[in-house]
Amino acid sequence: MKNILEVKDLKVSFHTYAGEVQAVRGVSFELRKGEVLAIVGESGCGKSVTSQTIMRLIPSPPSIIKAGSIIFDETIDLVQLSLKEMESIRGSEIGMIFQDPMTSLNPTMTIGKQITEGLVKHQGLTQEKAQKQAIELLLLVGISRPETRIKQYPHEFSGGMRQRVMIAISLACRPKLLIADEPTTALDVTIQAQIIDLLKDLQDKIGSSIIIITHNLGVVADIAQRVAVMYAGKIVEQGTVDDIFYSAQHPYTWGLLHSILRLDDEEKSELVPIEGMPPDLLDPPLGCAFAARCPHALNICLKEDPQTQIIQDEHSMACWLMDKRVKVKIC
Amino acid sequence: MSRFILRRFFYMLITFWMIVTVTFVLMHNLPGDPFANSEKLSTQQRALLSKQYGLDRPILVQYEEYLLHIGQGDLGVSFAYPTRKVTDIIKESFPASAELGAESIIFSVLVGLILGITAALKHNKSWDYTAMFIAIVGVSIPSFVLGPILQYWVGVKWGILPAALWDGPANRILPALTLSFMTIAITARMMRTSMLDVLNADYIKTARSKGLSQFAIILRHTLRNAILPIVTVLGPITVNVITGTLVVEQIFAIPGLGKYFVQAVYSNDYTLIMGLTIFYSLLLIVVMFLTDIAYGFIDPRIRLAKGRN
Amino acid sequence: MPEITDDLFAPAPKQDQQQKITRPSITYWQDAWRRLKKNKFAMAGFYFLIAITLMAIIGPYLQKSGYELQHLAARNEMPNGAYWFGTDEFGRDLWVRLWWGTRISLFIGIMAALMDLCIGVLYGGVSAYYGGKIDDIMQRFIEVVYSIPYLLITVLLIVMMGAGIWTIIFAYGITGWISMARLVRGQVLSLKEQEYVLAATSLGASSWRIITKHLIPNALSFIIIQITFTIPQAIFTEAFLSFLGLGVKVPLASLGMLLSDGVGSMRVYPWRLLFPALVFSLMMVSFNLLGDGLRDALDPKFRK
Repeated sequence: MKNILEVKDLKVSFHTYAGEVQAVRGVSFELRKGEVLAIVGESGCGKSVTSQTIMRLIPSPPSIIKAGSIIFDETIDLVQLSLKEMESIRGSEIGMIFQDPMTSLNPTMTIGKQITEGLVKHQGLTQEKAQKQAIELLLLVGISRPETRIKQYPHEFSGGMRQRVMIAISLACRPKLLIADEPTTALDVTIQAQIIDLLKDLQDKIGSSIIIITHNLGVVADIAQRVAVMYAGKIVEQGTVDDIFYSAQHPYTWGLLHSILRLDDEEKSELVPIEGMPPDLLDPPLGCAFAARCPHALNICLKEDPQTQIIQDEHSMACWLMDKRVKVKIC
Repeated sequence: MSRFILRRFFYMLITFWMIVTVTFVLMHNLPGDPFANSEKLSTQQRALLSKQYGLDRPILVQYEEYLLHIGQGDLGVSFAYPTRKVTDIIKESFPASAELGAESIIFSVLVGLILGITAALKHNKSWDYTAMFIAIVGVSIPSFVLGPILQYWVGVKWGILPAALWDGPANRILPALTLSFMTIAITARMMRTSMLDVLNADYIKTARSKGLSQFAIILRHTLRNAILPIVTVLGPITVNVITGTLVVEQIFAIPGLGKYFVQAVYSNDYTLIMGLTIFYSLLLIVVMFLTDIAYGFIDPRIRLAKGRN
Repeated sequence: MPEITDDLFAPAPKQDQQQKITRPSITYWQDAWRRLKKNKFAMAGFYFLIAITLMAIIGPYLQKSGYELQHLAARNEMPNGAYWFGTDEFGRDLWVRLWWGTRISLFIGIMAALMDLCIGVLYGGVSAYYGGKIDDIMQRFIEVVYSIPYLLITVLLIVMMGAGIWTIIFAYGITGWISMARLVRGQVLSLKEQEYVLAATSLGASSWRIITKHLIPNALSFIIIQITFTIPQAIFTEAFLSFLGLGVKVPLASLGMLLSDGVGSMRVYPWRLLFPALVFSLMMVSFNLLGDGLRDALDPKFRK
């Protein structure tokens, strides 16, 4: 199976007045053709920075890509591209959906114009042809009466409808990769499910690979085949949905799983929050970043950062608890 | 939308009525005879005025008459030039003022926009600092200081441009420039802030994620949204420029309305001051009204919201 | 890399590590002050204003002369040892007059700021806090007053009432507070929707407590920013009125009046314009730089 995206040892920092914030500290993952990968983690863990770095959307300065590569479609290293070259990839090869549909659309431009813009630029369509495509796209994302809707402005749409429009914009040129950055966070719970269903449906129809960024594990189980758990700028555990939900190995993943409600849970277990705060990435701790909050921390966790190890097939994680020398047994 | 315009129009009338009433009250409720304060008035003039304003009649009758006069566009007769009606003076000298004001507004808003846009696009670089320095200096020097300095150095000492009067196109440059500084500064600062706001907006990120070029993003997505707030200050800017013409016309000896106004103040020509105040107020209120309406048309959010009401 | 020994794999003692990894907490105002200090331009403006204010207070007493005293033997002097900034055509000491004028101009600016605080903040706050019908009526009134060309009315008022500091301040009080009222209203309206205010209301806090403990402190940064723009605007207005001969009464001086006199004698005695123009412009530039810096430091929209 071909990899549509290979991220290797990506490091991204921000220069702020207080110093260098290491937002992403060596992230590696792959995404296969037609696959849906979810990146989960709490806010500030670097998941949005990772996704926007793939699109090269973070302005530099203040951000810099310190190291690593992002190989797209097996040949192109997105990190090395000039901004001009990147423009021809954005929108045509990679599409993106943002978190807040209320602010992601230009308030003074009609919906139609906002959809056709990319088509005109990347596929050289005339305005008329692009318009026709836009109408089809709106139908595809489930907006009725597209002929009239296309002439309307964003404020005439509800939040869920606007997110559908955003999806139409991002899929206009049938990109090989779609990055959805918290696509449901700003929406009502009932609408969230609709948007996820729509994404699943569209993936079947268009066949794009999808990276979905979220802090909602419910969304993950619904749509993704594989999951990467991020904490403090690193991926701490990665595997198939089953790996993560049924045989998670990292204490942070356990924490995440305990902090969500599960309808299938017979024992009515309690919700357990993860105590403490994520570390300050202005000055990341010496050892494992989670050590300070980890109920199972070892002496070594405070001194040395654990390496990523493969547990089984696609399941990998970075934690000292896996080391053979650990004497205490957990669980 | 039409309801919105109607409501605004109604406010405009109320504002105008208030100003007219304030001038009336100021004329009549001051201790003693308002005309007695001025030693410059001859008994003959005072008699003329008393008759014209009917000062001997009940105050409400006078008020009614006063409103009626203004309603008919009659602003009375000047003290200093007893043979001339205020409306004639306006008719004769307003064109020069209007031309100067219009030239200045067009020039300064254009320059201000360019400065503001450059500053925002080169945020925190030397261009930004230079543009903002110009903007801050612009609001730091009063035009009655800047005008004579330009007039003396550029006009008299170096002799590059005409130092005064209103004969040809070259005469327009120095006064218009003097008048423009403040507006350039206001527009540039406002545009810079507005541009920076828009550049940080989420929908710009969306536009970039579509793969649009930087140029297309600025042209299609940034400028239109950033200029919107500028439309709202066009009213106040016009107010500024019109008050500016008072000073500038006096300095450069331009035969405009502002020069009359200043001279009327110097010579306590009450009727002329009042007449001109009413005229200027009407002008400004209309400008404010028009910019309000224009904003409603430009911003689809307002246009549609108002349309639904 | 230190050697990895087996004992490192024993459970770590439970310590209070969480304290170590969070940044020291600082209050909003400390943070704002730290931001402001980083802004060199704003701090330069701040120090210049302090210097100018100090000179306005002590400057006149560094010379023996009063601002109105005419030294008829020493008319039209150049700046020299006895008269640091020279004298005018009546032989009045321009050093003394300059700092007196600065004092008067600052006084007018501060009074305008007080008007903003008293009328503008109260009007805007009341209008937004009570909302509904009251807000409606108060806003209609503002919309009407807003389009009154304030400078013209001021001129008319002063022509009728006679010139003087208090007339100028009174005239400012008629319409000058409008933008403050609008700003405070907008702020309070958005603050009212915030959860913590709702929480305070539902816990039974009184209106007075909510206004003084929650709304005003949170709108305070915007009020401060607005004031740094009100003061120079009022000083500017005074200068304009001085040009029309409607400023303070002679022999009192204001910066506007000194500027206006200076322009008149600029070609022969350029320093008569130079010194007041320098102080005036420096003051304006400083207020603007400080105002911009404060906005960057205080307005959450500009914070990173």
